[in-house]
Amino acid sequence: MSKTTEGEAVQPPAEKIAEGDLKPQTESKVEAGVEDKKPQAAETDRAPKLSAAELKKRKQAEKQARRAQAKGAGPSTSGPPTQQKGPAARDGPKQQKDAKQPAKEGQSRPLPARRRPSQSEVPVLEKAKKEVKKETKQQGLFFGHLYNQPRQHSMVGASKDVHPAVLALGLQYSSYVVCGSTARMVSMLLAFKAVIETYQTPVGTSLARHLTSHHLSPQIDYLRSCRPLSISMGNAIRWLKDIIIKIDPSTPEAQAKRDLLSEIDNFILQRITAADELIAETAAKKIEEGDVILTYASSSIVEKTLLRAHNAGVKFSVIVVDSKPLFEGKRLARDLANHGLKVKYLLITGASHAVRDASKVFLGAHAMMSNGRLYSRVGTALVSMLANDHSLPVIVLCESVKFTERVALDSIVGNEVAPADELLSESERKDLLPLKPFLPKSVTARADEKDKSEGGEEAKDSPEDVLKWIVDSPNLQMLQVLYDVTPAEYINMVITEYGSLPPSSVPVVHRLSTNI
Amino acid sequence: MSPGAVAVTPGLSSFLKSLKSTPVEPSIEHFISYSSPIQEPHTQQLTSHSLLKRRQIRNSRPCALATTALLLRVVGEFKGRDAAKLVERIRQVGRRLTSAQPREVVVGNIVRRVLGLIREVVDEKLDEDANANSDFGNNSESQSQSQTQTQHDSLHRPTLASSISTFSPLKYAALEPMDSSFPSENMSDSGELTKRPPLLTSHTSTAAPLVNSLFGLFSQPDTPSTSNTPTGHQSPDSKSMVTALNLERLADFTKTNFDLKAEVMDGIRELQDELDQVDDQIAANALDHIHSNEIILTHTASTSVQTFLLAAARKRKFTVVHCETFPHDHTATHGVLLTGKESDGHADDAEEAWKPLTAAGIQVVMIPDSHVFAIMSRVNKVILATHTVLANGGLVAAAGAHMIAKAAKVHQTPVVVVSGVYKLSPVYPFDIQELIEYGDAGSVVPYEDGDFVDKVDVENPLYDYVPADLVDLYITNLGGHAPSYLYRIVADHYRSEDINL
Repeated sequence: MSKTTEGEAVQPPAEKIAEGDLKPQTESKVEAGVEDKKPQAAETDRAPKLSAAELKKRKQAEKQARRAQAKGAGPSTSGPPTQQKGPAARDGPKQQKDAKQPAKEGQSRPLPARRRPSQSEVPVLEKAKKEVKKETKQQGLFFGHLYNQPRQHSMVGASKDVHPAVLALGLQYSSYVVCGSTARMVSMLLAFKAVIETYQTPVGTSLARHLTSHHLSPQIDYLRSCRPLSISMGNAIRWLKDIIIKIDPSTPEAQAKRDLLSEIDNFILQRITAADELIAETAAKKIEEGDVILTYASSSIVEKTLLRAHNAGVKFSVIVVDSKPLFEGKRLARDLANHGLKVKYLLITGASHAVRDASKVFLGAHAMMSNGRLYSRVGTALVSMLANDHSLPVIVLCESVKFTERVALDSIVGNEVAPADELLSESERKDLLPLKPFLPKSVTARADEKDKSEGGEEAKDSPEDVLKWIVDSPNLQMLQVLYDVTPAEYINMVITEYGSLPPSSVPVVHRLSTNI
Repeated sequence: MSPGAVAVTPGLSSFLKSLKSTPVEPSIEHFISYSSPIQEPHTQQLTSHSLLKRRQIRNSRPCALATTALLLRVVGEFKGRDAAKLVERIRQVGRRLTSAQPREVVVGNIVRRVLGLIREVVDEKLDEDANANSDFGNNSESQSQSQTQTQHDSLHRPTLASSISTFSPLKYAALEPMDSSFPSENMSDSGELTKRPPLLTSHTSTAAPLVNSLFGLFSQPDTPSTSNTPTGHQSPDSKSMVTALNLERLADFTKTNFDLKAEVMDGIRELQDELDQVDDQIAANALDHIHSNEIILTHTASTSVQTFLLAAARKRKFTVVHCETFPHDHTATHGVLLTGKESDGHADDAEEAWKPLTAAGIQVVMIPDSHVFAIMSRVNKVILATHTVLANGGLVAAAGAHMIAKAAKVHQTPVVVVSGVYKLSPVYPFDIQELIEYGDAGSVVPYEDGDFVDKVDVENPLYDYVPADLVDLYITNLGGHAPSYLYRIVADHYRSEDINL
């Protein structure tokens, strides 16, 4: 199937949707139309100034388009590719807007959201515009800047250079089978070991020069397309590149590869395995008889700590607070209970109740920011806020490899968005099915139309319909981000392999650990 | 819960219907068994009692509607003209209902409102009579005095006008627990007194504590209760007895032309009207509180909040961020977002077409509860729905409300609570835990995970208590109030005699 034919096949319904969307807004059409012309003019004015940045963006867009096309050519059916292709094909205009922003934003860093309502009311003049409008609906609130890249859920379209181990890993990333920044980093390094093992330097280049840029970067790109890199992964990649560059070009290839592999092993051993041991040992000492330890979601290092304290014979109990849609804490709670610990399990809505019973809070980290803030699973900030309110000590367990020189003030500028359809589990969708008769007619009509066009006659009550309703409801969207930033004042202590420190010491330790 | 083989899922609407269709004849006893199957577990009828217990009628509004409908019937079926007996009757029903489901505070609120209503009617009648036959010495004087007092004190008193009963400074004290020595003394006092002829009674009770001497004889029986009972622990009996006093006398008048029942039923119908209109009345304030392009965060499925937002949406464009309140209210929340209606699964209220917010052109973003903190820094206003508002300005709302309110406080975002006055309860939260209901753990961890539930203690709190200091504003059908002012509205709506049912 070529791209064009498929595009045509998709368009009619899209058009209808756009028209339907507009109906309730007709009264605002006129004024919005005026508004609309101005930005366009501004855009064209600005275009020459930003050509460099824009070119880059355009290139990216093209690349994505190519990728999407390659995907479309694959065996996949009508469902996913249309979604994938949509953004890619429309990236052009949108990216321009994005490119324009940084230049303008110097004076104020206002939220894109402030502009959103008018954006969404942009009347549709031509077909292309219509599609842009549908696109804006899908972008979440002021997180629009994070929606640049559609997430890869298959290995179709991956570059041929990508190693099978990395391909497999990428899928595990995107399906959250491998989840958690430490686990993701370690598994990446292990996959890279396999990559390096099979690597052969082409004639005429040296390993130090060729490996990183030509062989590793496609792997990294692929992983990034599956799920944005974690900060620990970024740190590890930087370290690996550094090591590779430093290899003496005169070293024979086999020797160099062996050195690299052992370096990687060493890195994992030192920065993760040994560090975890140290942290668990320090942190376990903080657990006293009769404590009630509260933890949020799941962290391998917190689990290790709790088990160590438990094995040392300390009597304490654990409250695991969890949240949808990943329910990571469920596994943690089960593991701890299997080891004989007394575990209580609540969801985040019950966090206020959980905090009342707790005596200490242990948190894992995705990263520690240089301004002392904790970047971790979304919801962590809530739990630490509540704990701080109850004057509970909040202790973060974090290996120094997860420290970053990046800083963050809020959870919005830098974050990772996840597909919103993950939010509604199968059973939740089923629970919503009886609502069908109550839906606004526009939505059901569209859904029915789709049913008919797909030829599905009475396949009505499939839970998938619910997602369709949401997509079809004008102005309704679901939003899912993965992380949030916990203010430093909620954190009493960060335990790393370098010792226990206040959050303000994070940048110091980060410098220490990177300068070795 | 268990729809079972019954054609209609038991719920509010089916209950209301069955109320309508039951013939007027059935005796009061039958009717009560209607409302409490515990005594007659074999009755096949739907009963509000079991509906309450089985949580087939749940949440404040359905409970309020069911209770008013039930009380209307109770009054309707009430035989005789003795107001004291009617009060006792309602109180008895109320006690049963509240003990069936103590955490649906609204049931108690409605019962108290109805009790207050009866007292109000009686007082009014008494005043009229007092005005009519001023044979008694300083009656008119006292009357005028009491009236000035009322005018002076109860400026905010909404509807039910009466002379003395409306205000007593001690009512506020009465809401707080104080020494419980008073009531017992008082109780025995009045217990004796009831046996005496009315006139004497009034004199002796005036002579009691600090009462304003020989205030109107007819209004007298009321004063001991207001001024002498500074505690909320006042036993119900004493109060009913006290009222019994004036009611005994009243019996003489009633024989002539006074139709207590009709007046009370009118009052209850007014209450029903209030329940019907409450959302619209609240929504009338919407434009005063929502400006254009605002980002508003709200949670759970609340018709009040939806109506409020819809009213604002007619004039202004804004964005709503909606927390889904997993695991106990998410289905209803999604339902509201998709259909605009809080559906309890009754197919029969379909006649009204509801418009979701999104259809009004409002951007709605649904987020999981864990995102609250991340989003809060960009939110302009938090609007909370509530289950019950307590007299100290705190509220009981769907679980998650506390962390939302707290996060808002941390980000200096104003928190607005939207609630009908009927949810305002005279209860002071001394034991917060008592008010929190825990729900089905199966909605947190599905039953497929049997081994998990075995090993791990899974909890599913349904409600949160949000202390008053986290709330910036209450918007009720009477307008906007600071949390610190709520006690006054409580005092306006409930008689101190009725605070303990």
